[in-house]
Amino acid sequence: MLVVPGRAGEAPGPTAEAQEVEKAGTGRWHLWARLGLRARVTLLFGLGALVLSVSMGCLSYFTVRHFLVSERENASVHQAYLNAKLIRSTLHGTTGIVPLLAAADSGTAGSNSLLYVGSDGKWYVRSISVGQGALPYSLRHLVLSGAPADESFQTDGDPQFAVGVPVTSINVAYFEVFDLNDLRGTLRVLALALIAAGLVTTALGAGLGRSAAGRALRPLTGVSSAAMAIASGDLDTRLPAAIDDPDLAGLTGSFNAMVDQLQERIEREERFTSDVSHELRSPLTTLSNTLAVLEAHRLELDEPAQRALVLLGADLRRFQRMVGELLEISRTDTGSADVSLEEVVLGELVQRSVATSSHTLPGDCAPPEVEVEPAVADAWVTVDKRRFERVMANLLENAAIYGGGATDVRARRGPDDPEGRATVWVTVEDHGPGVSPDERSRVFERFYRGQASGQRGAGNGTGLGLALVAEHVRLQGGRVWADQADGGGARFTIEIPVTDGDSW
Amino acid sequence: MSSRILVVEDDERIRSSMRLALEDEGYEIDEAASGEEALDHFAAQAPDVVLIDLMLPGMDGFECCRALRRQSAVPIIIVTARTDTHDVVAGLEAGADDYVTKPFVSKELGARIRALLRRARPMEDEQPGTFTFGDFELLPDEGLLRHTDGSEVHCTRTEFRLLCELAANPNKVLSREQLLDRVWGYDYFGDGRLVDVHIRRLRTKVEPDPAMPKHILTVRGMGYKLVP
Repeated sequence: MLVVPGRAGEAPGPTAEAQEVEKAGTGRWHLWARLGLRARVTLLFGLGALVLSVSMGCLSYFTVRHFLVSERENASVHQAYLNAKLIRSTLHGTTGIVPLLAAADSGTAGSNSLLYVGSDGKWYVRSISVGQGALPYSLRHLVLSGAPADESFQTDGDPQFAVGVPVTSINVAYFEVFDLNDLRGTLRVLALALIAAGLVTTALGAGLGRSAAGRALRPLTGVSSAAMAIASGDLDTRLPAAIDDPDLAGLTGSFNAMVDQLQERIEREERFTSDVSHELRSPLTTLSNTLAVLEAHRLELDEPAQRALVLLGADLRRFQRMVGELLEISRTDTGSADVSLEEVVLGELVQRSVATSSHTLPGDCAPPEVEVEPAVADAWVTVDKRRFERVMANLLENAAIYGGGATDVRARRGPDDPEGRATVWVTVEDHGPGVSPDERSRVFERFYRGQASGQRGAGNGTGLGLALVAEHVRLQGGRVWADQADGGGARFTIEIPVTDGDSW
Repeated sequence: MSSRILVVEDDERIRSSMRLALEDEGYEIDEAASGEEALDHFAAQAPDVVLIDLMLPGMDGFECCRALRRQSAVPIIIVTARTDTHDVVAGLEAGADDYVTKPFVSKELGARIRALLRRARPMEDEQPGTFTFGDFELLPDEGLLRHTDGSEVHCTRTEFRLLCELAANPNKVLSREQLLDRVWGYDYFGDGRLVDVHIRRLRTKVEPDPAMPKHILTVRGMGYKLVP
C-alpha cells in the first residue's frame, strides 16, 4: 500500500478561519451522521409523526371547540328569545316575576335569568348568586339602549355566555347567563384524548421508522457479512440475487461483480505463481541432473572450476527448494492443497518427525533434545503426517539458520482451545538472538527478511520456510506463533487439537 | 550386466540430462518421448526399470503405466509434478511401485532405482519356507503367490515383498514406516500413501471382498497386520 506523507508544510492549505468555519459546519453534521442510519431514520419518522399529530390534534381541537361553542351559543340565543317571548306574553305587572324566571331557567341546566323592568328601574333575579353585576357592562348597556346582544365572558375564571333581549312592548329587558363550564370539561377531555393520540402516533411513527430502517439495512447486513467472509479468504461468497427488488438488484449486482473481478485477479495472480514455478521445474530438472554428472566428475576439474561447481550446486539446490516451496505455498493459495489427515499418536509423531528432519539439517547442527511429557505421549492427534514433518523440518531448519540450531523440542499439554477441545503444544526452542516482539507475527510472512537476515548462514533460507509452517499448521487445524524461550532464544509453538483425549 | 532403464519423458532436454546422469551411474538408458513409443520399446527390449513422466502428450503416464502393468510386473517409477494431489495416488493405483517429484535430485532417483532393483532380485535373506493364509500360499524363495487350487496369482515385486513382510509377522502390527523401511528401503521421508495404495492393490488380489478385508487388516493409527 502507498502511504503519502503529510503535506501540511509544503502546500498552502485552507486558512485557519476557513477550516474553523468548515469544522463548525461539519461538526453538527458529524454528530448527526454519528447517530447511525437507523437512529436517524427513527428520529426523523418520530419527528414527522409528532408534527403531524400535533397539527392534526390542534386542528381537530379547535374545530371541535368552535363547533361546540357556536352550537351552544346558538342554542342559548334561541332559548333566550323563547324565554323573552314567554315573558312578553305572560308578564303583567311585577308580581309573579320570580316564579316566571324560575320556569324560564328550568329549560336549560346551568342558566340564570335576570329581568330588568324599565317601569320601576328594578332588576329581578331568580337566584341571589347572579345579580346584574354579573353581566358585562357593554352588554347591559347595549341591551338597555334597545338592541339585542350576546357576549362571552368569564366570571372567576368560569366561561359564561350572556344573551340580552329587549322587550320594548312591555318596557323590560330580558337577560340570560349561561354557564359554559361543562363545555370546558368536555374540551379538556378532548384535548387529553388528542394529546394521548399524538403521543401514540409519535411512538408508532418512530417504531415504523426503526423497523423501516432495519428492513432497509437488512441487505446491508448481508453485504457486510459477505464482505467479512471474503476478507477472511472465502472468495466464493456471493450475495443472493434479489431479482424482485430493482433497488437491491443494483447493489447485489455491483457487489457480486466486484467480487468476481477481485476473485479473478487473485486467482490469476495465484495461477501465475503456480505456472511460473511449474514451468521452472523442467529446466531445474535438467540442471540438477547435469549438475549431478559434473559433481560426480568433480575431481577431474581444476580448482577454480571445482569451487565454481560447489557454488553452483549450493545455489541450484536452494533455487530448487525455493521453487518447490513456492509451488507448495501457491497450492495452499489456490485451495488445491490436498490434506490427508490421519490419526496418529503424538509422542511417536514428534520423535519421528524430529529424527527425520534432523538428517537434512545443515552439517554442523546437533540434533535437538526431544522431550515429550508422559501425559501427552499417548494422545491421538489428527494431522497430515507429511505436512507435520515439513513443519518440524522447517522449524528446525529455521533454528539452524538463525538460532544456531534448535536445542529443545518439547510436547506438552496446552490449554483448551476456544471450542473446548484439549490441545497439545509442540515447541521448538533455540539459543539464538530470539525474535523481537514486533517481528513475531511478521516472521511468518513470505520472504520476510527481518533483523536476523544478517545472521550467519541466513543466505541459505528460502524466505518461505516459516510461511509454509503457518500454512501447513493452519491446514491441519492448528495454530503457530513465535515468542521468547526462557533462555532468551526464539521459541516457536504449534498448537494442535487433540482428537482423543480419553487416555488423559 | 548393467541394468536397463526406460525413460519415458517428452521434454528432450530432461531426457538427455537424465540419460547423462543415469549413464554416469552405470545404467543403460532407453529413451521414449511418448507412451506409445514406450510400449514399442518395451516390446522390443524389456527394461529392468521404467521411469514414466505422468504428463505426456497423447497417451498419458497413467495409461502408459496401466498398459505396461497389464503385460509385465516390471518395476515402474512415476515422475510427478506434484506430491500433494491425487496424481501420486492415481499413479500408484495405475500400478507404479514408487514415485519421484520434479524437480528431482538425481541422487534421490538413483536411490529409488537401486531399491527397486534390489527388490526385483530374489530374497536371499528371507527365511525359506512357505506362508499360508486363507486360500493362499506364499513361497518367498520362489517368488510365488499361489491359490490353494494351484493357480498362480500375479503381483509385482513390491506387492510380493510387502505381502512377505506381513506374512512373516502374522498377527503383528507393522507400521507404515516399518513397511516403508523394509519394502521400499526408505530410511526417511517415506510417503505412507505408498503403503496404503499397495495394500489396496494386494487386497484386490487376495481378499474375497476387498472392501471387507479378512486377512490384511488396517489397525487404526498404527499400521497393518496380516491375519492368516
